[in-house]
Amino acid sequence: MRVMVDKLDTENVMDLTIKKLQELGFEDYILQTEKSNKSQIRFADNQITIVKNWASMNLGVFAVKNQKTVAVDLQDLTSETILSSIDSLDKLVSSLPPNQNYMGISDGPFSYPSIDELSDPDLIDFHEQALDKVTASINAAQEEGAKRSAGVLYWDATKVQLVSSRGARAKAHSTKYEYTIRSFIDDTSSGAEIDVGRLSSRIDLEEAGRKAGKIAKMSVGGVNGSPGKYNVILAPKVAGDIVAATPVAANPFSVEIGFSWLKDKIGEQIGPEFVSVYDDALLPNGLGSRSFDDEGHPTGRNVLVENGILKGFIHNTSTAKKAGTVSTGNAGLVFPQNTNVFFEPGDHSFDELMEISKGKPTIYLTNNWYTRFTSYADGIFSTIPRDGMFIIENGEISKPVRELRVSDTMFNIFGNIKALGKDLKQIKSWEVNTPTFIPAVLLEDINITAATS
Amino acid sequence: MTAEPIDLVEKAIEKGEKLGAQYIEARLVDLKSNTSILKSGVPELGAIMRSKGIGIRVLKDGGVGFASFNEMTKEEMNIAVTFATKMAEASGNMRTKKISFSEEEIHIATYQAIGQSGKRPLELSPEEKINRLINLDKIAAEVETGAIIPFRFFQMLDQTEKKLIITNEGARIESETDLLQLFGLIVAVNPTTGSKEQLMIQKGKAGGYEALDFWKIEDYIEKQVRTLGKIVTEAKEAPKGTIDYVVGPNVIGIMCHENQGHPSEGDRILGREGAQAGESYLKQDMIGEKIGSDKVTIIDDPSLLGSYGYYQYDDEGIKAGPRYLLKEGIFQDMLHNRESAAFMQTKSTAAARAIGYNREPIPRMANTYLLPGDFELEELIEDVKLGVLMHNFTEWNIDDRRYQSKYVGLEAYLIENGEVKHMVRRPVVETTTPKLWGSVDAVAKKSLLEFDAATCGKGDPMQGAPVYHGGSFMRIRNVEVR
Repeated sequence: MRVMVDKLDTENVMDLTIKKLQELGFEDYILQTEKSNKSQIRFADNQITIVKNWASMNLGVFAVKNQKTVAVDLQDLTSETILSSIDSLDKLVSSLPPNQNYMGISDGPFSYPSIDELSDPDLIDFHEQALDKVTASINAAQEEGAKRSAGVLYWDATKVQLVSSRGARAKAHSTKYEYTIRSFIDDTSSGAEIDVGRLSSRIDLEEAGRKAGKIAKMSVGGVNGSPGKYNVILAPKVAGDIVAATPVAANPFSVEIGFSWLKDKIGEQIGPEFVSVYDDALLPNGLGSRSFDDEGHPTGRNVLVENGILKGFIHNTSTAKKAGTVSTGNAGLVFPQNTNVFFEPGDHSFDELMEISKGKPTIYLTNNWYTRFTSYADGIFSTIPRDGMFIIENGEISKPVRELRVSDTMFNIFGNIKALGKDLKQIKSWEVNTPTFIPAVLLEDINITAATS
Repeated sequence: MTAEPIDLVEKAIEKGEKLGAQYIEARLVDLKSNTSILKSGVPELGAIMRSKGIGIRVLKDGGVGFASFNEMTKEEMNIAVTFATKMAEASGNMRTKKISFSEEEIHIATYQAIGQSGKRPLELSPEEKINRLINLDKIAAEVETGAIIPFRFFQMLDQTEKKLIITNEGARIESETDLLQLFGLIVAVNPTTGSKEQLMIQKGKAGGYEALDFWKIEDYIEKQVRTLGKIVTEAKEAPKGTIDYVVGPNVIGIMCHENQGHPSEGDRILGREGAQAGESYLKQDMIGEKIGSDKVTIIDDPSLLGSYGYYQYDDEGIKAGPRYLLKEGIFQDMLHNRESAAFMQTKSTAAARAIGYNREPIPRMANTYLLPGDFELEELIEDVKLGVLMHNFTEWNIDDRRYQSKYVGLEAYLIENGEVKHMVRRPVVETTTPKLWGSVDAVAKKSLLEFDAATCGKGDPMQGAPVYHGGSFMRIRNVEVR
């Protein structure tokens, strides 16, 4: 029977979809709706280039029939589209062979952990404040000497609701902001900083602008660096990409498709003893924090690396059963996904990291981009430093350098961690998709290459 | 109350004009997409995506506002237009350099780029789609190469996109485009040494499932897997020192895209993408300057029929045609939308693309290639004393000014005294853009021209644009390899 309604809200979208799935004999299903309002300010050359707003509602459905797994993602939520899409899903499911990797979804009902600092009502109507804060950030960069700055500020409020055929019922309301500023003195002297979180009270775009301007100024006059083996100090932004890549590769789906270098490595020492890393969904103010995963399974804190030993992978119900373990509450719609990656901080100040590396040629990288792999399965990669890059001599920053590339393996990066800083920073950026809490990191004996001119 | 999407698009223009918008465009995008994911032969997921939404962009008082919505009601439309207009005004009032759009010819047009009857994405049965994909995996798993193929991942994705763009200047462009895309990752392992090599597969084309036959996809997969097997079992160390490279369509394509396409984008040159995708080593006053040798002519042309980056009119309603990024080595055209064109007091080059109803149109590439020359491939090779013939690439990257790049070869052979010898492993070209284009001394003939598909990443939020890139073969002299 077709149920026609004029304007669909979350509840009747769910009801309509479940009824149709049940009519068609789907054995298991998970429905997730997301209603969000997101905004963005972009700026370049010290001026606002565009202000944007996105209002959207979407429905994600994962459904199972005769062990065949199908999904729908709808951003067109009329009754007609919902019903016709579920009909198409039924035709699709009849054409597929069974998914031998599917081993069920999590059995509820569940109670969910509470997480602090997930939502802030002050971030909902934030446009005027946002314009002021961005302006203050640009001005701060200029005060440090920046000639021009470009950047992006996002903020959003999102409501998610989940229902599963196995008794999961969950709701969440969250807000967040993400800010990037990149400041230039000239075409090749630049610095960048980010500021991300969930609460308006934590926003400090002015400080981000100040740091970006400062790095840009320090990088003036840089000369082309020389290739070779170096100790490298990574700012948290860079460490969040190439050091955190290893715990992020602790994903059974990635391992099975050859996208990870951690096949058969569980139990092995992959880093020094002072390195421990978690996937932690419960961190206050964490951009990846959530109380339930995409199966409606409760989330938690899971150890990935303990004292340098790879302890385990993140899992959904199917990958966990296949591995003879239990779900870690990391289900994504198709494959397990990280929440927040959390590095236990070290106890060194930045000055101490420079001091530890004394006597060895050392480079400090403040930012990077374009990390690409010759072989994921071996972790062979290169990445390009961008913005301020500096030679460290005698325990202090001595001069800016340019035009170098980190060309090494992920095993060397993680295995050659020499020391960890004590100050954690939350990273999520263009280059780092998984929210990561990580300090500055000192690496030993890393291969640096350079373009021939 | 819900409303007809087309009515909302038209009403949005009226509403924007009432609010004083100098320019308003409304873009309705109705996207129907299907995908299948296969992991080592096991169908992990069959999925259906449907989206319909409207994006509104407004220019007022020298500022720009954008808003999108996907609940088709008059209230949502009013909120979106009001937001975009107010934010354009607010940000415009803060600007000292006002944004304007270049004056352009107005078009009313309808066009299609759709698959053959019976082969269109919504016509072909799901059984036929999944069976063809499963067969590809079977070929990859069973080809005898002397290597084992433990990791295989395939994703096939089709889509039909209907788009309507209306502006208050009178432009009205309706289009319907089908796209077929195939992604894959295959890893070969030498059973004795454990040495691994990966192949990332991306095929894409405007149209329907007839593309699989056009690509001869079964033969392609078999050939590629055979080559991977040879690489891990036979390839020797690549030469070092100062050597020549002869590179094929796949390598030329990525070089044209990264080293010349991106730095020619008008918004990058103006610094508008400075925070993320970066700026450019090229500047406005470098137009007319010699960047490469006179053998190097690089064209970006959205109007190539059947191409992955095909469009007739861009997302600002401007008629598209070829852009000569480098002509005989000289920097000539930039990729402009109306905003970047106005800043440089020139005309749009119809490069405005918005990937989705909820994205703004920004300057993008479409189909970028090196214009073929007259040489036979054998002629390029016979003059090389010591070099590498590189058919395709694996890892690559480039800095955000697009000045220093690195390309690592996948299928590559030693050239010694004008003859192609054994396979070599992972040869590297790590050089600067002017050095690269300045060192090209010969380009092969048109019959060797081929294109590859890629997804070009740019923008924040990310806009992954379907593009082609290609060429025939070219010779690069005296590359220093450390």
